[in-house]
Amino acid sequence: MHHSQRMARPNLRGNHSPRRFFVLALLVQIGLFQSSNAAAKAYEPSDDRQILATIPAGARHTELSARDLARTRIDVALPLAHFYIKQARSSGDLRFLGYAEAVLEPWLSGPNMSADALVLHATVLQSRHDFTPALAVIDQALKLRRDDAQALLTRATILRVLGRYDEALASCEQLSQRAASEVTELCTQSLHGLTGDLPAAYARISQLSSQGMPAAERAWRDSELGEMALRLGRDGDAEHWFQNGLRAAPDDFYLKAAYADLLLHSQRAREVLTLLKGQDSIEPLLLRIAIAQKQLRDPGLDASRARLTAAFAAEEQRGEGIHRREQARFLLEVQEQPRVALQVALINWQVQHENDDVLVLLHAAQAAGAITQAQSALDFVRANNLQDVRIEAITSRLTGVTAHPTATALTTKNAPTNMADSL
Amino acid sequence: MTLKQIGLALLTMLMFNSAQAHIASNGFLTLNVEGKTISGTLELAIRDGEMAVGLDGNNDGQVSWGELRAHQAVLGTYLQSHLLIDTAQPCAITTDSVKVNERVDGNYLWLPFTAVCNEQPDTFHIDYRLLADVDPSHRGLLTLTAWGATQTAVLGGKQSTQTFAFGQPTQWRTFVEYLSTGIWHIWSGIDHLLFLLSLLLPAVLLRTGKRWQPVPLARPAFLNILKVVTAFTLAHSITLSLAAFDVIRLPSRLTESVIAASIIVAALNNLFPKVTEGRWRIAFLFGLLHGFGFASVLADMGLPSGARLLSLVAFNLGVEVGQLAVVLAVMPLAYVLRATRFYRAGVMPWGSSAIAVLAMVWLVQRAAG
Repeated sequence: MHHSQRMARPNLRGNHSPRRFFVLALLVQIGLFQSSNAAAKAYEPSDDRQILATIPAGARHTELSARDLARTRIDVALPLAHFYIKQARSSGDLRFLGYAEAVLEPWLSGPNMSADALVLHATVLQSRHDFTPALAVIDQALKLRRDDAQALLTRATILRVLGRYDEALASCEQLSQRAASEVTELCTQSLHGLTGDLPAAYARISQLSSQGMPAAERAWRDSELGEMALRLGRDGDAEHWFQNGLRAAPDDFYLKAAYADLLLHSQRAREVLTLLKGQDSIEPLLLRIAIAQKQLRDPGLDASRARLTAAFAAEEQRGEGIHRREQARFLLEVQEQPRVALQVALINWQVQHENDDVLVLLHAAQAAGAITQAQSALDFVRANNLQDVRIEAITSRLTGVTAHPTATALTTKNAPTNMADSL
Repeated sequence: MTLKQIGLALLTMLMFNSAQAHIASNGFLTLNVEGKTISGTLELAIRDGEMAVGLDGNNDGQVSWGELRAHQAVLGTYLQSHLLIDTAQPCAITTDSVKVNERVDGNYLWLPFTAVCNEQPDTFHIDYRLLADVDPSHRGLLTLTAWGATQTAVLGGKQSTQTFAFGQPTQWRTFVEYLSTGIWHIWSGIDHLLFLLSLLLPAVLLRTGKRWQPVPLARPAFLNILKVVTAFTLAHSITLSLAAFDVIRLPSRLTESVIAASIIVAALNNLFPKVTEGRWRIAFLFGLLHGFGFASVLADMGLPSGARLLSLVAFNLGVEVGQLAVVLAVMPLAYVLRATRFYRAGVMPWGSSAIAVLAMVWLVQRAAG
């Protein structure tokens, strides 16, 4: 659960800014909305044996008895909710988050209120990019149980996604009394890596022994290292870390997405299709597949495009923007509509401030020829000393915009090293 | 569509079946307000249907078409208890046979239904509670059409009841609504048109002895047509008004049967002419009965209380516009062709025979109910 920010995507429920309506109007205009004239297509299959759907584990009606039990038994509710959240993570199926929510509901308030249930609920909210409510729930949990390690870690994670690094760091430090030292170290160093101390933080984390680390923790460590290596411009090292992490946690879709991005960046689209084969039910991964198909002029692109379009349209219609970052990239890299992509990227930026959010905003602004619109992201980069060669590559071409110079300096200093040496 | 595009579409369909991009759980609810009745469809992902009522009868982790069909009644009951539509009082929901619809994120069950309300709603509440107990993130995406205007809304969640108001429809909108219903009624229920055409086919001809001759001039042909159409219009307007204001009421099975019979009479009269000069009299006599047929459509729709007369006039006008359009399309052609063998020995006898046979089938069906 420690790397839960990876599920992070923005949510804009209830945000009725003019920009949102503008984007909505545009999306309608370009026909992204799934038309509701389904009546004409409805049919009666001719064969009773035709299979209409496969029901995954955890989504069967017969399991409702376990849920009923969970209403009165917290020792049933917590593992069940945990199982649903895990299912949501590995399958990308958002319905499981709803199932978890239903199971936790009786334990979130009143005399039965449970800190564990609150933390799980915060994880559900965070996975849906309801960051502000998630923080409120976490604080409630911390009131019930001060220094709860899981709560502190989740809190740090959410604050980091929001770009509130000082507060995140405070939570990490509080963690030191309750959690294993390597967890605290990962928590703090990954934040230092975002605030001006990238090379040192990278060195510290790569020295952390992975001996005895649980698989999930190892995957977290490797994905942090991979990301840091990418920001340092050491793609070869990054690839090593991603592969390493995937050996520890083969189902980790965040690692897969990050690795796929590296491959796409290196014009290795065919390897993306191999890496993500059969993973197209997870929206962020389907996006990478679509970009790869576009690069390869693969005929499968039309299907992927249609599915992503429908998925974003459904979110739009529900008033949710869970996959805003992916939506911006889709519009930019698949649909080649930089102006709409920029609007979506700006909405995304209002909600979350991860490294990839900076990148997608800058790329969209650049493609739309409106880099000034990304000024607040550039300010954020400067204020935090965020180092990233990919950001530097964009800002160095801009006149009148000063960005942090270290990143470029670093790439020249640190020629790609063989990872075996640094281990 | 080129072959390549078809291939692509097929490929796309195959891929959709193999895997789906996960979209949060959405039900698609379509409601069309048509007077007192609301016709609607609910589309629910098969997976959500399983969660709601348990479709997987043999518990093998897969839902087949047979299993879905077997749960049709259960789905109906579920809908009735989890979707509440009410004006002042709840509207009664009845469901029809379930179908399947493929969406990009997988197969959906497609359940048509009708909700009958006590009064024609201008404000109503929808309480959408489907799946609320198992998946609080489930939402119903509503497309609501009333009086030619469409609105959308997201249903479900914490605030499950929502109120929809249409404001009183403006007079103009009511007029247009009923006018178009009138036009569509005459075009979609071809029985009225066939009756009229049977009477009009010989209008461009003249019966002399035992033979049909073309009318020499346009004027008598035009007068023939005018008389028949006017008589039919007058007659059905009278009975339509009487029925609409509840002065006279006839059982619809009777009127529908007699309408079928009227077509047979009109068609047979072309084959074995009895009435050759005053066909407008047939038009008037049976037109009275057709008026009751139109009235049953109006009864289904309901007349808005504030604008009963207006909507009646609009509907009637729609019927006239619809039939006049057909007359204007067909009769000039008939006039041009009237001297040909094709028209006199082909269209007249064979067309009339075909109409008569069709009407006989209708008569049997309608009389049997």
